[in-house]
This record gives sequence, structure tokens and C-alpha cells, in this order.
Amino acid sequence: MSEAVDLSFLSDTERDLILQVLQRDEELRKAEERRIRRLKNELLEIRRKGAKRSSQRYSERTCARCQQSLGRVSPKANTCRGCNHLVCRDCRSYSINSTWRCKVCIKEAELKKATGDWFYDQRVNRFANRLGSDVVRLSLRHKPAGRCSRTGEGRGPCWRASGVHLESQSGVSADENETIFKKNPRRILRPADYTKSVIDLCPEDMGSETGSLGDRSKSVPGLNTEMDEEEEDIDNLVEIHRRRTARNSIRSGTSSSTLGSMVSLYSEAGDFGSVSVTGEIAFSLSYELQTQTLLIKVKECHQLAYADEAKKRSNPYVKTYLLPDKSRQGKRKTTIKRNTVNPLYNELLKYEINKSLLLGRTLQFSVWHHDRFGRNTFLGEVEIPMNSWNFESQLEECLPLHGKVWISPQYKGELVVSMKYIPSAKHLGASTSKWEEGGELQVWIKEAKNLTAAKSCGTSDSFVKGYLLPHRNKGTKRKTPVAKKTLNPHYNHTFVYNRINPEDLQHICLELTVWDREPLASNDFLGGVRLGIGNGMSNGQVVDWMDSTGEEVSLWQKMRQYPGSWAEGTLQLRSTMAKGLFL
Amino acid sequence: MTDGDYDYLIKLLALGDSGVGKTTFLYRYTDNKFNPKFITTVGIDFREKRVVYNSRGPNGSSGKAFKVHLQLWDTAGQERFRSLTTAFFRDAMGFLLMFDLTSQQSFLNVRNWMSQLQANAYCENPDIVLIGNKADLSDQREVNERQAKDLADKYGIPYFETSAATGQNVEKSVDTLLDLIMKRMEQCVDKTQASDTANGESSGKLESAKPEDRKCAC
Repeated sequence: MSEAVDLSFLSDTERDLILQVLQRDEELRKAEERRIRRLKNELLEIRRKGAKRSSQRYSERTCARCQQSLGRVSPKANTCRGCNHLVCRDCRSYSINSTWRCKVCIKEAELKKATGDWFYDQRVNRFANRLGSDVVRLSLRHKPAGRCSRTGEGRGPCWRASGVHLESQSGVSADENETIFKKNPRRILRPADYTKSVIDLCPEDMGSETGSLGDRSKSVPGLNTEMDEEEEDIDNLVEIHRRRTARNSIRSGTSSSTLGSMVSLYSEAGDFGSVSVTGEIAFSLSYELQTQTLLIKVKECHQLAYADEAKKRSNPYVKTYLLPDKSRQGKRKTTIKRNTVNPLYNELLKYEINKSLLLGRTLQFSVWHHDRFGRNTFLGEVEIPMNSWNFESQLEECLPLHGKVWISPQYKGELVVSMKYIPSAKHLGASTSKWEEGGELQVWIKEAKNLTAAKSCGTSDSFVKGYLLPHRNKGTKRKTPVAKKTLNPHYNHTFVYNRINPEDLQHICLELTVWDREPLASNDFLGGVRLGIGNGMSNGQVVDWMDSTGEEVSLWQKMRQYPGSWAEGTLQLRSTMAKGLFL
Repeated sequence: MTDGDYDYLIKLLALGDSGVGKTTFLYRYTDNKFNPKFITTVGIDFREKRVVYNSRGPNGSSGKAFKVHLQLWDTAGQERFRSLTTAFFRDAMGFLLMFDLTSQQSFLNVRNWMSQLQANAYCENPDIVLIGNKADLSDQREVNERQAKDLADKYGIPYFETSAATGQNVEKSVDTLLDLIMKRMEQCVDKTQASDTANGESSGKLESAKPEDRKCAC
């Protein structure tokens, strides 16, 4: 690390004092990150509502923000100077000197100020976005084992007991840094690492000081991610969303049967995609500290789609989950309103949940048409990451519903996997046993990072489950042992699949899902990946599960390309497997 | 700890020779108290304060009031911490460059601090306020106002003579720096959003957050 500062001159006491300051700084930064996340989500929401962007074509004479027809207007007087779109009067915001910009441009400018991006955008030219405090933290990193551990003592000044070997330290810490960075070459670039510190928040709120400094500094590579990477992240999402909605409209004509199988596994059975989603949901949220309860007031929905277009009928009800918990216990429902597309509920749904845990969840509203014969129809949904919600404002919110294909923007952590394919000729067993015909696929599940905390103590007891699709059955099911009480589990477990011919590799797909083990209830889904060639086809048939993208595909291809050697990758966990629509 | 209930997080940093009174100055600013004891700062520290910033229109019309959370970095002046403290320069949006009015040497070193800033801050010309502290010790004064003012003019930055002991100009100097930063922020955003040619000169005025606004947050 060229940037590391030589801090070997510091005494133990000094080091610890400085680390304490850095920790306070990190707390401040975490609060700031949450605030920024909230702000950016607001922008996303605004964009999503109207969202004509400069890159898209749109019919003239409509407001770029609300899509209202503008009639005959002079283009000159009605064009936003920020984005050059025609904008109606309602979607403008006037500044003091009576110039105006459209709501999105104003919001973007506000955001740039409020998030500090104006500052970070300049700094990046000089320092490539590495925080000074992180440089120092890195340089101070690594507490030799002989030192006092802070555990349990809280802020107690146990560092006073210090005083051992100091000279050797700087060398050690430099090496240590290097290995961190070598090990995670990709992490530094990953925008979503950002949320890591949000996850970190849990133990803090629980009042436990365990692993404060030592553990925290381990996450350093993730900490230097910056606001503009976050920006990128959000932009990315907008982009993904745009692609998805575009695709959605194409798909809506096609059969939804391919989805059915997937969906029923991870979610409830039901009729998805047969109606095109419209309308919005009005609600308000509050959190009661005394009872540790999230109160969701579902007010009403507007202009829902008809479940039965011919009869113009919908019997809508609203269902909620606090994702990732999709268990039966985590489900709340309103009553069913008959024969209306503008149902009025005014009902209160409650979740008893610790606040710190809640911040790691995503509230999902979904609206369903109740069918007397049990085949309910999906009418739309919306997700709200709780870490970006402003609980102080108890104002009513009204959010547009979207179709099932929308991917929740949640960062779910990463899975580090190494894979090796050994063709039969090289395989020793091949000549002796008929069962060993074909090659062997070895999947070494190494570790996961930054998993979501599913338990109230802010950790998870996680394990990885594997299937080799198309066979989702006992024959291909593999599991790792459970790694308890950690969000960064080391599994170091290998799955082996036999009798796989080289040509099979383009027809199969390895599905790995991470779960939190809940002995007395259903396990919580924490994330997953699918490894395959990702072309949507298997043995000449269109399948929804052959949906790998990016690193998932490249890792699979790397493995195919170099038989007999390990191909390793760090894969971003998907927040849901039900979508199956990555193509 | 903060609750994130603010509009802007602004990070300032105080720098200057050891013993010029950076820590005491910041303590006066955040807590309005004076501690005459000299306790050398170990490397780095910071304090926080919530203020309300009122943006102003060009004709003095009052604009919006914003809640600003200030993070005030305090750096060690001692040479031995130099590599550590300069690493923090890049995290600050504005700087309180301080010297001791009773020490000619601390004033001479201002030039060195300036070049440190130019090399290590987020950009080459960050917002800086020059501060001559210990103005209350008039009988021990070694730097006269003219000298200091000239230097500040040379750099094109504001100059204040302050006293952490009496509180003289302490708030005013920080407010001035914040105002500079807020203006720069507006300009940066305007620039990136292309269009604005005659952007409304907005100036700001500050006042401390009312006690009921501050609650027990920090």
C-alpha cells in the first residue's frame, strides 16, 4: 500500500486514543451514510414516478415528469434548463431569482449538496476517493494478540495496561494490509460495500461493544468506498430498473408459466404477470420505541389493475413482509375489499422487531386480488429499505406499485466460491467404476461476507445450499455445515457432483443459496447466486433459471475453460432468486 | 452520535503550530467554555456542533434555514504527528489555520501550513480562514494586525483575531468559513448543472441552533 502512513512512532496509548477517535468518526459516518441512502432513495422514487431521462425518447408535448399533456406551449418558456425537457408548471421549482428547474433537476442539485458529492467529486481527482481517516486506520490496523482486548469493557480505558512490543508493529501491519487487498481485489471497487457499515450498526445498538476495534478494522477494505460510488450504485439501479420495466412490457404478453415453478419455491403460489401493474399504495409508518413495534398503516390503494379485465373485477388485499423474512410468521395482511380498484383500508399492521434489526430489513407491500377458488392474482408491489426510511416523519407516503420483476436494490453480501471441473480421463475413478463416468464438478464454498443479520442479536447462523439445475431434488442437493453467529462465515466446504460430461456444463446451472438457520421456524433466505452460462436455454428449451449474469457467467466459463484447475470468484449475492429474468 | 437529522454535514479542520490554541478554540466554539490548561492533542480528535445556516437571497431576503452538523477536526500541532495529521486534511471541506499572536514563530509557520494545505487538501485552493488567537494577551503580543492582514490578503482569505479565553470572534470566524463553504457548494452544483449564467449571489447568515433543537444528540 503506497498510501499507508508510517505510524510506527506512536506509542500504544497513542494508537488506542487515535483508534477511539476514528471509531467515533465512523459512527458519525454511519449516521451520515444512512441519511444519504435515504436521500438517494427519495430521488430514485421521484425518477421512477415520472422518469423521462435525456437518453430516452418520449412523445413531445407531454411533461417529462408527470407525463401530463402540455397542449400548445412555447417550448422555449417551458424547457427545464437543467435537463432540457419540457416540463409542466406543477413539476417546477422556482428559485429566488425567479428562474426555475424541474423537480428532478432540483432534487439532483440538492442531493449533490446534501450528500457532500460536490466535495467528493473534487477530491476524487486528487486522492482517488480514499478517506484520510481510512488511510490512518489501515496504517494503525492490526492489534497484536498480546494486547488487551476491548471486549466487554466498553469504553473502559484498558489501553493503559499496554506497553509491549511496539517497534515490530509497523512492519506487521503493512504486510497485513497487503494481504487484505490481495485477497479481495474486487471489493475495493464494489459500490455495495457501502452498506457494510450499516450492517455493522446492529451490535452497537444492542449495547454490546464486542469486537469493536479489532473487528471493525477488518472491514477496512470496504470502508473506503465513497459517496460517488454510491451514486454509481443508484444510477446503476435506475438503469437496471429502466431495462427491467422495458422488458416487463415485452414480457407481459408471454406466458407466465415459466415463472410459476420458481416462484412457488421461494414465494407463494399465485398468478404473476397476467395483469399489467398499475396504481399506487398510500400508507404511513411509525416505530414505537417502548414496545419495539413497527406500525404500518395501510391507508388505501388507487387505480389498481383489474384482475379480471373482462369483468372489470378486483378484490384486492395488501400483504406485507419484512424481507428477507418471507416466512409465514412474517406475513401480515389487510382485509379483502370487494369489487373495487380503489380500496380503502385504514388498517394497522404491526411487527414487533428490534429497531437495529429492522434497519437491515426491507418492507415489502404486495397487493393481491383474492380469488374465491384460491388462485390469487398479483396486482403489484413495492419495496422500502428500512435503513433509508425517515421514521421521524409520519407523513403519509404514496408509492407507485411495480411488477414482480423489479429487483430490490438491497446489497446482500458476497459469496466466495472456487470451482473445478475434472474431466473423466484425468479422473482416477473413471476407469474402475461405471458410476464415475463423466467428469467431476467440485464446488468449494469458501466464505461469505457481509451477510444480512437475520437474528435479533445482529448475526446469522448461516449455511449454503446447492442444487445442480435442472434437477432441484435430493440427488443434487448439497449443504454446508451451519456457521454460527457471524455475518462473515468461513464455510470451507466442498460440494462434489459426479458424472458430468463436459458438454453438460452448458446445460446445467449451479444454484447456491445462503440461509439463516431457524430451528423452530422456516429458514430465512439471505441471498444466492446462479452459476451457468446464462443464456436462458437448457437442452434446447427455454428455462428461467439459466439466468446468470456478470461474474456468475465469467466464473463458470473460467472453470469450463481450464479443466482441472480452480477458478475462484467473489460473487455478489442476489437478493432474490424468484425473479429468474436476468437475461 | 448524531441522528442524521440535519441537512448538511460539513467537515472543518483546525491546523497550526503546537500550542496556538486549536483545541481550546474549538472547545470554546462547541461548548462555549475556556480551559486554560495546555493538554497536547494526541494526533487527531474532533468535536461536533449543530448550527442553523440561513441562506440569503441577493437582495437580502431571507431564504431557507438549514440544519448543519459540523464536524470540527482538531489536529496535533506537534511535528512528530505530521504524517498522521496531514492525512486528515483531505477529509475536510474547510480550514481554520491558526497561529498565536504572542508567538512570531507560529506566524512565520503559517506559510508552511499553507503549502501543506495546498498539497494535501481536497483541492488546491480550499476555503481557509486565517486566525490569530490569544488576542486577549495584548501585553505579550508579537504579531501586529497589519502583518497578519497583509498575509491573509496575499492568500485571499479572511483574517480574524480571536480569543478562546474571552470568546472574541470565535464564532464569527467559524461562521465565515462555513459561509465560504456553503457558497462554494452552491457554485459547484450550479456549474455542474450547466445552465445558470447569472446565478443569484446568495450569502448566508448563521446563528447557533436553539437549545431545543439540539436536544441531547451530541
